[in-house]
Amino acid sequence: MSETTQRLRDGPNLEKDDVVLEVDTLRKTFGGLVATDDASFQVERGTITGLIGPNGAGKSTLFNLITGFYEEDSGHVSVNGVDVTDAEPHEVAEQGLIRTFQTPRKLEGMTVREAMLVGAQDQIGESFVSLFTRPDEVTEQERTTLEDAHRILADFEIEHLAAQSATDLSGGQMKLVELARAMLAEPEILLLDEPVAGVNPTLANKLRDQIARLNEQGVTFCIIEHDMDFIMNLADPIIVLDQGSVLVEGTPDAVRNDDRVIDAYLGGPGE
Amino acid sequence: MSRNDDTRNDVSESDESRVNEKRERPGIASDPRGYWGALTGAERGVAAFVVGLLAVLLWGLISGGLGPTYFMYLVGLVGMYILLSFGLNVQWGYTGLINFSVAAFFGLGAYGTALLTADSSPLTGGMDPIFGFFPVPIVGIVVGLVLAAVLAVIIGIPTLRLRADYLAIASLGLAEVVRLVMLNQREWTNGSAGLRGIPAFFDGWPVLGTLPQAMPGLRFQELEIGLPGLWTTRILGFTIGESFWQQTMNVLLVAVFVAGTYLLLRRVHQSPWGRVLRTIRSDEDLAEALGKDTYSLKMQSFVLGSVIMALAGVFYAHLNLYVSPGDLNPINTFYVWIAVILGGSGSNRGAMFGGFVIIAIQEGTRFIGGALPDTLPIDLPGFLAVVDSTYTTIVDNFASTRLLAVGIIIILVMRYRPEGVLPPQRELIWPSAARTADVSGGVVTGSQVDDSPGPDDEPTRAHAGVNDTVHDADDAANDAVTDANATHDDAESTESSTSAETTESSTSAETTESSTSAETTDDVTSGGDDDE
Repeated sequence: MSETTQRLRDGPNLEKDDVVLEVDTLRKTFGGLVATDDASFQVERGTITGLIGPNGAGKSTLFNLITGFYEEDSGHVSVNGVDVTDAEPHEVAEQGLIRTFQTPRKLEGMTVREAMLVGAQDQIGESFVSLFTRPDEVTEQERTTLEDAHRILADFEIEHLAAQSATDLSGGQMKLVELARAMLAEPEILLLDEPVAGVNPTLANKLRDQIARLNEQGVTFCIIEHDMDFIMNLADPIIVLDQGSVLVEGTPDAVRNDDRVIDAYLGGPGE
Repeated sequence: MSRNDDTRNDVSESDESRVNEKRERPGIASDPRGYWGALTGAERGVAAFVVGLLAVLLWGLISGGLGPTYFMYLVGLVGMYILLSFGLNVQWGYTGLINFSVAAFFGLGAYGTALLTADSSPLTGGMDPIFGFFPVPIVGIVVGLVLAAVLAVIIGIPTLRLRADYLAIASLGLAEVVRLVMLNQREWTNGSAGLRGIPAFFDGWPVLGTLPQAMPGLRFQELEIGLPGLWTTRILGFTIGESFWQQTMNVLLVAVFVAGTYLLLRRVHQSPWGRVLRTIRSDEDLAEALGKDTYSLKMQSFVLGSVIMALAGVFYAHLNLYVSPGDLNPINTFYVWIAVILGGSGSNRGAMFGGFVIIAIQEGTRFIGGALPDTLPIDLPGFLAVVDSTYTTIVDNFASTRLLAVGIIIILVMRYRPEGVLPPQRELIWPSAARTADVSGGVVTGSQVDDSPGPDDEPTRAHAGVNDTVHDADDAANDAVTDANATHDDAESTESSTSAETTESSTSAETTESSTSAETTDDVTSGGDDDE
């Protein structure tokens, strides 16, 4: 990691070089509750950025704001320098930002393979008219996508699940499939919302290995996680959220030993 | 394929056994017993039901209880309900859109063409061929479908951005609004008097328009059959004339509509477009997160379904030759819902079956009531007079039991088979891509489900018939076999009469020559429909 992230910072590090995702003073209130209080942070290309914080710190709200599922009250979000503040979720995804969900979403009536194929972007065959005017191109693209899907499943060592019903998987397998599907979208940055929640330790290790492998291949990650072992061994830098804004940002070791972080988690004296 | 080269020798044996286990789908003509054995329990039940019903109808026809003209009219109605079910299946079965205004879109189609062509239409007052030769019903179709599409867009704009429930509520209201407009806008629609004097669809066409008159009238002599002295009955004794041929033309017309719609839907259902719709049905947020414009896709699905419903309406107007606001009653919407739920949401075959059952219930209750004796055939003691009178009441009003029958069917389906009688059972992947994709195990889109979901089974979906655990060992030969089976299945299962081209080219490209199982490919000479 670069020199600037070595030490612990008060608040976010906003001087990163190659920024993929930039969140600028994002604010969201639900009635009287300030869920996100002018949060700002940046995700540098090629990193695995961890996003931690006690319950109610606003992590999931932040994800939903970034990905367009919630409307923000104020602030800006940009992906690769493109402003996506008011974009619909699918428009954000088109910019290369793909997210997963805390609870894996089931696709009823589909096989794993079919569920994988949904991840592919810019499909000619998703236009009704093209099905009839350009069937050969649809076939060509669909074949490529199908082969890619199998290749990615093989990379994840779950190709044997390809023809299984997508609803018959264990929770951990579902998370793996979800990650694999996200890869089919060839994202610039992947936002993972608690990837190992409810996953057994063996599969959690497998997930960590896969995330590390993909990161080596150049995929940028931003991960919310409650499992401290998991995130501290994987992510650098770590951003700590508390009460809707960024408390500190730094290396896992620095964050782990910081009094303010411990206070935030254990409920310190307050300010 | 190269990575498999070194493992081929080890696995060729297991390949063979796998080939033997593989459940092929024999042709119905060449091997009727095998074909029957390969069907799922539900498919057998449906087949038996259809055959039984046909037998009853045939008997009705022969015994004279059912006039041949009326019989053809009923077949036309079945086709109409199939179209309506197709339309709702696109909206609800594919995309999960709850549309309670089926009758409204149906009515728009019917009124669209009727207003243009009917003698009593306040707007046009009868049909004159446009430019002297262009048959007006063609324009009627276009007008009916465009009206439905426009209304679908108008109602879709505010509701499809919201959750499914809002569309349901809005469409409930919409159906009533459309019906009340038809009822009250007398200067446009004739109000409750309805529109009379709608021409048959082919009236005014060259050749086809006069075909019913030109066809010969046939008289079937009445016969007496039976065992002499024991039992005799009179059969036949009816005439086939112009009206019969007229209805036959209608049946042919609706057959073309149904076949065309079915082929269209099958294609889009297996496409990436259909896949995104199914994703939306399961989880709209997920589809959005994966970059799919769900609003646009829901709108496309909604409009497509509505247009198909309107097509049913157009056909109805030219079948019945009279439309009135009563045709837009909400009960018609719910009949279509029942057809789709009964058949299996998302299944085109199921929608067909559902349409069939609805007519069987509607008309069956009428005929059973007529066939039962008016009073109890046995004399009961006086204190059981209440039984006697109840029986008479029921028989007199037997047609009303259709609602009871419908209710019971829905309860039974929901309790014992919530996925419907014929749920979609196959992996839906663009067939020509699935066949040619170079993936381990192959993609067996047309394959039968391994464990046929009987009534008690979980509704599991296609395990592609490929051994799941030894995925790495699958070699090229196995690819070819499963591919060949896939295409074979395709051709048989859909019973499509479309071009049966040899798919040797695609499969043998991947086939390695020497393997034993590769020979199986050669046996399969007829492949599936390359692009349907």
